[in-house]
Amino acid sequence: MFDSIIDPTVGPATTSADGRAELAPRPGSLSGLRLGLLANTKRNAEMFLEEVGKQLAEHYGVQPVLAAKKPNIVETAPEPIMAELGAQCDIVVTGVGDCGSCSASAVADGLLLEQAGIPSVVICSDAFTVSADAMADLRGAPGYRYVTTAHPVANLTPDGVRARAAQAVPQIVALLTQPVMAASA
Amino acid sequence: MTTSATDPVVQAKAAIEYCYAQGWTDGLPVVPATASDVEACLATVGRDPAEIVGSQPHLGRSVTVAQAAANAIMAGCKPEYFPVVLAAWQAVCQERASRGAWQSTSGPAPLIVVNGPVRSRLGINYAGGVFGPGFRANATIARAIGLIVRNGYGIRPQQLEQATQGLPGRWSVCIGENEEMSPWEPLSVVGGAPLGSDAVSAMLIRTCEYIDNRSTDSAEAVLHDFADTLARLGAYVGGGHSSGGIVFGPEHAQLLGNAGYGRADVQQWLFERAVREPAEMATAGKGEHAEPGRPFAMMPAAQDIPLLVAGAANAAMSMVFRPFGWSAWSRQSVLVNPKEQ
Repeated sequence: MFDSIIDPTVGPATTSADGRAELAPRPGSLSGLRLGLLANTKRNAEMFLEEVGKQLAEHYGVQPVLAAKKPNIVETAPEPIMAELGAQCDIVVTGVGDCGSCSASAVADGLLLEQAGIPSVVICSDAFTVSADAMADLRGAPGYRYVTTAHPVANLTPDGVRARAAQAVPQIVALLTQPVMAASA
Repeated sequence: MTTSATDPVVQAKAAIEYCYAQGWTDGLPVVPATASDVEACLATVGRDPAEIVGSQPHLGRSVTVAQAAANAIMAGCKPEYFPVVLAAWQAVCQERASRGAWQSTSGPAPLIVVNGPVRSRLGINYAGGVFGPGFRANATIARAIGLIVRNGYGIRPQQLEQATQGLPGRWSVCIGENEEMSPWEPLSVVGGAPLGSDAVSAMLIRTCEYIDNRSTDSAEAVLHDFADTLARLGAYVGGGHSSGGIVFGPEHAQLLGNAGYGRADVQQWLFERAVREPAEMATAGKGEHAEPGRPFAMMPAAQDIPLLVAGAANAAMSMVFRPFGWSAWSRQSVLVNPKEQ
């Protein structure tokens, strides 16, 4: 009945994938794998990832080889950083998505790395799961699983950050070694 | 007596409800847009309907001229407003702060400022009650920008948009500058547009707060009042500086102008005095970037305090606004229908 009404949402292009995005196959064990860390510019993000790297090295035999920081929290990491991660790393941990735009953007980074064949884990704070999930949908990966940590992260003391990172490690290991789509999605 | 289902009012209401059901509205009713409405808008700008006028690469979304037109109609714009909508959209998009703004917890809103004769042609208010509501052009041009973000980029509240609180008046702040009562050149001239041209400037802001000072005829006393609000701790987010600009009411502007203050003089005065003591900042848990013993300048630089004039000359009050993020206004205004000027 209202066929003459213009749909204002129809744009020229969308990257929403037809069907599901491809994720990288998971390794059975993390031992000996080269780890990349991709931080955003949010306060405490680098320290969080650094601690994750330390713990993964100590308890799982991972070798941290590269710590990168992307310049803009909104956009995905620039191509040179992605290429470097792709060339030097077997697995990547990225985050911390702790704001409206950076949580979605962290998920986008994770999915781009997955598509490049690198098993990756995204860390977001639990206040921003809706925008993280919305980005996963937009990128053709509904049900994409990531690790959550309690919000906020930015105001934690260094000890608080390290404790949080330690808490996240078992989930990070699980997502690096097991399937990363929710079964029901 | 019941109204017939074929009654045009019943049908118009059903069309509005249809738009609600599609998720296309910002909560208020929209005007359903048809192909001829879009054509009428396009005729005012002479642009390719498929031309891309905005992108969010990380979302894989882009917006075309035709899509902007559909959203402008839905916002309630007349087709003749469309050149101003497009200029406002361009002005918003070229601000560095807009890159992640629409998903930000800060939930900023554009402050759109229109200069030139187009104000009178379209009935864009620049005098009493300038922040609205009550004037179709002001209300609908600002709203069009919000609908383009919502429908064009697919950024909706509590989904990709994560505003913690947002701000009162989001998507409703489009004002004309009261050039006629300003002692200074129009804001658009600061933004590089020729004097007398139709131009739009835009900034993203987090809020506005009033300065009511009808108590003195001293320019310096009034400036002190402004500096105090500009230096307010709550607005300081951290980092190297806070942000601030002023929409002067004509009375304050003329008091300053008559005392010999040019725009740059006012900016310099405010930059030097909108400072806080590091100890005070530390008390509020915000002392991290302040050097002990040295007053901390809250404004980024004198030239980065945007000043303009709007409203009625019926009381000495003004509005401080807070640009979003740390990047100051680009100082680039956008011409309305540049080929025709």
